Amino acid sequence: MLCSAVVMLLTAWSGTGLWAMETADCLGCHNYADEVGEMNHVDEVKFMATAHAAMGCESCHAVTEEHPFDAETAAVVSSCEDCHVSIHETYSSSVHGDSARCVDCHNPHQAYAPVSLSGRQMNDSCDMCHPMTQMEEVHSRWLPETGIHLDAVPCVTCHSSSDDFAITLYLRHRDRPYTDYELASYAALQEQTGTENIASIIDADASGDISIDELNEFYADNGSHRMRLWAMMTPETVEHNFTTFDNRWDCTYCHAAGPENMQESYVALPQEDGTYRRLPLEKGATLNALFGTPDFYMVGATRSRTLDIIGFLIILGGFAMPIGHGTLRFLTRKNRRKDH
Amino acid sequence: MAMQERVYLTPTPVRIWHWLNALGFVTLIASGVQIRFPDYINIFGTYRAAVSLHHTAGIVVAVSFLLWLFYYAVIAKMLIKLYVPTAEDLKQGAVKQALYYFFYFFTGTRENPHHESPTNKFNPMQKGAYVVIMMVLVPLVIITGLILLNMQPLHNLLVAVGGVRVVAGVHFLLACALTAFIPTHFYLATLGHTPFAHFKPMWTGWEEHEDH
Repeated sequence: MLCSAVVMLLTAWSGTGLWAMETADCLGCHNYADEVGEMNHVDEVKFMATAHAAMGCESCHAVTEEHPFDAETAAVVSSCEDCHVSIHETYSSSVHGDSARCVDCHNPHQAYAPVSLSGRQMNDSCDMCHPMTQMEEVHSRWLPETGIHLDAVPCVTCHSSSDDFAITLYLRHRDRPYTDYELASYAALQEQTGTENIASIIDADASGDISIDELNEFYADNGSHRMRLWAMMTPETVEHNFTTFDNRWDCTYCHAAGPENMQESYVALPQEDGTYRRLPLEKGATLNALFGTPDFYMVGATRSRTLDIIGFLIILGGFAMPIGHGTLRFLTRKNRRKDH
Repeated sequence: MAMQERVYLTPTPVRIWHWLNALGFVTLIASGVQIRFPDYINIFGTYRAAVSLHHTAGIVVAVSFLLWLFYYAVIAKMLIKLYVPTAEDLKQGAVKQALYYFFYFFTGTRENPHHESPTNKFNPMQKGAYVVIMMVLVPLVIITGLILLNMQPLHNLLVAVGGVRVVAGVHFLLACALTAFIPTHFYLATLGHTPFAHFKPMWTGWEEHEDH
């Protein structure tokens, strides 16, 4: 009713019918699924968080002066490639180009940069054609620890030529011990913190970044194991040439990446609009801190230098007896001669 | 004149276990080094090959350890007698043995106080070392390895013990301790009445003792 009233008011105001519909006008109706139907529904909160919102509805859609009383569907007057030229070129020439259109994977009213998405959200579009259970079976033919890999590495990390990665940690929680951890939603974190500033759950000093001390404090506060941080290796940007690249078959592409590539890491917190906000972690927090990120261990890449040194000294200790005792044994060999 | 006495010291199952274990350990160390330091070391061609080999060798060593435990505890019924130091071993035996190794061995003035027999193979110091290695370090490295091999089904256990990083760290340090044992083990084996006196029984089963 409210929606109809707004439209009638606007129509009356327009008089001549030469009025340009503003985004707010459109959302006056299209924000309500029960007014416009699920197909025409645009969630205002989610839409306003996209870069598309700044361009306005009219950049892509055109309606007649009689809209919505002409029963005509809004015409789409521009396409994705009009703006995303290079992405379109790359994607069109990829193996996916003939199989899926942009809108099959991206909802333009909820399209966000990869850094604003969780790794799980990145996988949602892949999952529509490549169900996770099927992918687990396919990958398990060659990939050790398949389940953990698929849980910690979004599809696009391996299946696009993107090569700029970060370690992003997401909050996971569970209500009861011995159950599975689930990605914590904004509502769940709001309930736990009792405030809208959900970052306070880990950013104790509200500095906007996370120190190793804050990580330790977070785990100390969650001693009952209700909440943990789950790390994913996420791309900073996504190239759209989706395929399987030869170098991704080589485990050392990630596992021998070396400490330099593991320095950039973030804690990503869910926002009310469905996106994620990243707070940078202290340099090297996922690499050197023995207990700061206890659930993140990327064998070959996240080894602790402290443990390496301790291990080396232990092994060196194993040579103390042969070298020390052996030297004295050699020097005193005459004492053990049988004719002595 | 010194006489040679032959003693059947190491039964066939134990010898098979020992060499299988030795091969398993060397494989685990070599593949483990590549897994931990892939940016510096490549022994097995690919990282995946090193991981697969490490998993396989780990399972072989774990099964081999259980067979060894079963043999000594159930079939030979000598696990406690051979490996666990007695009160006498701890009070006097270990001191006497240490004095021999670190003093009288060099002066050449006394004989080794321990004389091997099938029911008393190890001297008090050996018993102490082996009880730590075989009853503590090896079981722990196997347990941590099995947890790392089954992280998803055992995720509750992982959380309970402090997370994967703690388990992987403990596994690595235990592996270093067992690696450190190898040069010591080799060296101590040369301290018989001849440098190879202790090596032969692990191959043939028989050790030649010197009788005076």
